[in-house]
Amino acid sequence: MSTETSQPNPARGTPSDAAEGMSVVARTQGQIIRRRFFRHRAAIGGMITLGAVIILAYSSIGFGPFPGWWDKTYYSTASVVDGGRPTLSLLPSFLGGKGLRWGEHPFGQDNVGIDYFALVMRGTQQSLVVAFLIGIVSTAIGASVGATAGFFRGRTEAVLMRATDVIIAIPTLIFAAILAAAAGRAGIVALGLAIGAVTWTGLARLVRGEFLSLREKEFVEAARAAGTKSRRIIFKHIMPNTVGVIIVSATLAIAGGILLETALSYLGLGVRAPDVSLGSLISLYETAMPTRPWLFWWPGIFIVAIALSVNFIGDGLRDAFDPRQTRVRD
Amino acid sequence: MTIPSDPSMPSEPSKEAKMSDRPEARERARHVEHPVNDAPGRPQLAHHLDEVKPPSTEEILRVEGLTVNFPTDDGVVQAVRGVSYAVREREVLGIVGESGSGKSVSSMAVMGLLPKSARISGKIIYRGNDVLKMSPKEQRSLRGRKIGMIFQDPMTALNPVYTIGDQLAEAVLSHETVPRKHAMSRAEEMLALVGIPQPKQRLRSYPHEFSGGMRQRAMIAMAVINNPDVIIADEPTTALDVTVQAQILEKLLEVKDEVNSAIILITHDLGVVAGTAHRVLVMYAGKPVEVGETDEVFYRTRMPYTAGLLGSIPALETASGERLRPIKGTPPSLINLPPGCPFSPRCPLATDVCIESEPPLAATDALDHLAACHHWDQLAESDDPTVFFRAESEVGR
Amino acid sequence: MAVFMARRLVISIFTLLAASFIVFWGTSIAGDPMADLRGLQDEGQAQQQMMARRERMNLDVPVILRYFLWLGDLFTGDLGVNKFGQSVSGILAPAVSATLQLVIAATVLAIVLGVTIGIVSALRQYSGFDYTLTFAAFLFFSLPVFWVAVMLKQFGAIKFNDWLRDPTIPLPVILVFAVLSGLAWMAIAGGSRQRRLTALGVAFVATAGLLWTLSETGWFSDPGLGVIAVLVLAFGSAAGVTFLIAGFRHRPPLFAALATAAVGFVFYLASEPILEEPNWGLIFLLALVAIAVGLGIGYLLGGLQRRQAMAVGAVTAILVGGIIFVDYMLQSYGDYYGRVRGRPISTIGASTPNFRGGFWESGLDSAGHLILPTMALLLISFATYTRYTRASMLEVMNQDYVRTARSKGLTERTTVTKHAFRNALIPVTTLMAFDFGAVIGGAVITERVFGWQGMGFMFIKGLQDVDPPPVMAFFLIAGGSIVVFNMLADIAYAYLDPRIRVS
Repeated sequence: MSTETSQPNPARGTPSDAAEGMSVVARTQGQIIRRRFFRHRAAIGGMITLGAVIILAYSSIGFGPFPGWWDKTYYSTASVVDGGRPTLSLLPSFLGGKGLRWGEHPFGQDNVGIDYFALVMRGTQQSLVVAFLIGIVSTAIGASVGATAGFFRGRTEAVLMRATDVIIAIPTLIFAAILAAAAGRAGIVALGLAIGAVTWTGLARLVRGEFLSLREKEFVEAARAAGTKSRRIIFKHIMPNTVGVIIVSATLAIAGGILLETALSYLGLGVRAPDVSLGSLISLYETAMPTRPWLFWWPGIFIVAIALSVNFIGDGLRDAFDPRQTRVRD
Repeated sequence: MTIPSDPSMPSEPSKEAKMSDRPEARERARHVEHPVNDAPGRPQLAHHLDEVKPPSTEEILRVEGLTVNFPTDDGVVQAVRGVSYAVREREVLGIVGESGSGKSVSSMAVMGLLPKSARISGKIIYRGNDVLKMSPKEQRSLRGRKIGMIFQDPMTALNPVYTIGDQLAEAVLSHETVPRKHAMSRAEEMLALVGIPQPKQRLRSYPHEFSGGMRQRAMIAMAVINNPDVIIADEPTTALDVTVQAQILEKLLEVKDEVNSAIILITHDLGVVAGTAHRVLVMYAGKPVEVGETDEVFYRTRMPYTAGLLGSIPALETASGERLRPIKGTPPSLINLPPGCPFSPRCPLATDVCIESEPPLAATDALDHLAACHHWDQLAESDDPTVFFRAESEVGR
Repeated sequence: MAVFMARRLVISIFTLLAASFIVFWGTSIAGDPMADLRGLQDEGQAQQQMMARRERMNLDVPVILRYFLWLGDLFTGDLGVNKFGQSVSGILAPAVSATLQLVIAATVLAIVLGVTIGIVSALRQYSGFDYTLTFAAFLFFSLPVFWVAVMLKQFGAIKFNDWLRDPTIPLPVILVFAVLSGLAWMAIAGGSRQRRLTALGVAFVATAGLLWTLSETGWFSDPGLGVIAVLVLAFGSAAGVTFLIAGFRHRPPLFAALATAAVGFVFYLASEPILEEPNWGLIFLLALVAIAVGLGIGYLLGGLQRRQAMAVGAVTAILVGGIIFVDYMLQSYGDYYGRVRGRPISTIGASTPNFRGGFWESGLDSAGHLILPTMALLLISFATYTRYTRASMLEVMNQDYVRTARSKGLTERTTVTKHAFRNALIPVTTLMAFDFGAVIGGAVITERVFGWQGMGFMFIKGLQDVDPPPVMAFFLIAGGSIVVFNMLADIAYAYLDPRIRVS
């Protein structure tokens, strides 16, 4: 689920003549990209939100040997207070709310009295880990396959691209479900690796396309004519030019990854009990929707917050890396 | 002001020292006299201007003080900063300039094809009526009917998914209520006029089945199918092979007489203008810098920029160890234009006055030969105006 | 072209075969197929069952061999049995139609809505409408389908059905809707300030008036169109189609559209005996007749604009037919409402159990069950189509040939609908093929939320049982329909782009 191209090329046709006349103040590529990225307000909002979610998830209940600041755990039960209603309140008292209050169980409690805030934080941690693993694995595979196919052409390309076609023939969710059915039992790392292993096809095609066009460019010809080794041409001359595509794709893979993982966990094929992810929490409590809706809302809100932030960051990065960005204001 | 020698130029020593005291000088002055038609690979026009019908005195299109601005994220781009010209029936006006000089933008303004973000002011008077004051509907009825346009790249200017016949007939049908068959036969006539063999069969072809030259012919046919008064040809030959270029220009002149229209020929190539245009307008940084009869501008250049352009045309004799004389530097940014002559940073004749005030477009020694230069008289004194643009290494030897 | 398509088909089949092996292998190693038997109390019985199952699933031979055994059976038309010994084709048959209905409905709707809105969004780039849609698209990209489906169940079905008992819309809600509609139309109208403000005002008044009338007259408790609404909608769509396809510069296309609408309306008035109890065959036949009539009227009245008039006539005929269809279906709403005890929007299954009714009633029943899962599924593709079409349209609008079209003096409408639209659709066809697989994946999730016993259920159950044959059957149908959809996309591509046809 990603938009392939979101920005058209405004520098075609009439305004190009005007754009050509603009002089560019000397700036390094990195500076230009950073400047464009920081101008993208949604992307900045996404960065802040994502950062806040990550810090909240890891600092609250802690992780590994590190304890968190929240005094309850995601596995210890307690007596259910007030029907397990959330104590979090954001509405000030003069507007009829209870004032800004955190309370004993900010997100409420589930039916056996487990603190739901701790549970959601645990789910968020697991979902984040899987999502980032998916991003890394699928980017690594996609970029390598695409680069190899695009650079070496010939038989290597034919074999790799046929293999990619075979994988594309299986709908992503179906393939991921099949691999996750086995890998999910082995824990979240295996799950992330398994899902990452099926979501790389889009990037492979993109990178291959970039390579095919870049290897025809003059500077690559020049390098080849100078007797540069293939490996060096790939890493020194072509790779840096595809970095934009790869980074943007990696970001979008993370956003797609969290949706895929939560969907699989919802179907019971991803993160398995007793461990939880945001998806399995929704699956667990979907029937509570009419009676205790907060058990349904919180994990969903966290999924949307993470996915939306990452998608916005991806959009900001795409704008930043896209050299065709010379927006003419209307 | 000295111009630093371009380090990218190969420093092969030149045999020449100073031009005026060498016998080659005369030789060189001679080929300045025909700077263009002698050039290798230049279109050799069989159909010269003197063979076509002369322009009448009836003025068709007049542009007065046209300016076009584009607001962008980085500031306002002043693409056109005051252009005025007029064309008469059957006259060919050449507009010459580098990319970004505003030549295309100004003609797009005439066509009403600029994006909505463009801010246009000035007057565009077609047969006494100001186009800019017309309703969108009236503007549309001029486009394609009274003012036709030919674009630079015939590869992309035709819609790939419709047949040539369909695209030609459409031009007729959008202005006249006639049967489709009628429009198709007109299209066939036009294809025949521009020299496409088997026009009837070709009506059913798609653009990708045509060669570049054929497509440009089809574009010409499309532009003239409604017998327009003015044809704006925006770099009509730039994307074509040199051999095809001449044919296309020739065809353009021929067709012009057939439909009695004026041509505004926009190009960056002085060679194209040389055999084709009656008058020339040279643009730089959004303004005309030299205007006059083609011969006047070519042989009695009064603006260093034009001289520079002439100097960068390769001539056959140049091959013998002597190099081209390019204009150093790049055109200025159109966002924050400094005061003064916009060409002054690149100009070998520039003095303090050039940096302080921008020269107006004013009459020179010939009355209808206008130039925007503080030092046009220096050019008038020199035999070969391109001499100022010789590479420093050449001069210093 | 035929050679090209045949080649594509052969390649697709081989790709599908290779993929089927991966699916088979993945399912086989997904866990322990005996898991459900290991906990049995009676060990002897468990042993016996395990033996039988081992025999049935060929567990003694390696996975590769098992795959080829399955493949061999497949070529004889046998989909095998699941691990409990039930015939897979027996389970598959009822599952297929429900799932394909869902997937196709969602895909078609997503394409139509996504492409339309994407184009409007591109034509009004940087407008409030465009920004809102861009944000909505990002939101949709980030929403988990299952979460939305559960919400739809809660609000779209349970709460909505509750509301239907006393269906009035409070005034503030009417006003909010009216303002939103006004703003949307203002952005869509574009152009001068006066034109935008007019659009705002008209849309606001129209929406508010319509909602208020519907609410006050209790329309929602027995929705229907009736003669007057059919008349208004028929002539309205005639005008709309004319505007989009031909414009109002010439009269003949408009006359053709109006005549077609009139003929359709006359048919509607006399249609009672034919449409009382039709079947799908008859409906299809009538649709063909409608198109023929539309084309004929266009031909007769078209004059110099015959081509356009015929297109206008045909499209108007289809739309008027659709309006009549909806009217008939809503006529049986009252009955249906009573029979489902006042809960027309269903949350579970693909049809009401043991529901028997005529053509229109069972049609309503399917619609009531399809609507929410389709909406949930739509979410996946709609945003993708919108973004993709928008990007493609923006790209095309900057092309030289669009400028050429304008330079010929074509109206903006012709430039957009004739020159830009068709070119903008070309890349969208490739998305169609790509997106269909994602919708099938989404259907698996949606079916689970809405408790459909469809193919998705079959897949998940097979996978959890470590039982390849049902999973393979699912994959064959899914993969096969993706191949078919790819072919359709190729045909559409070739139709749109003459450059492809020659190769």
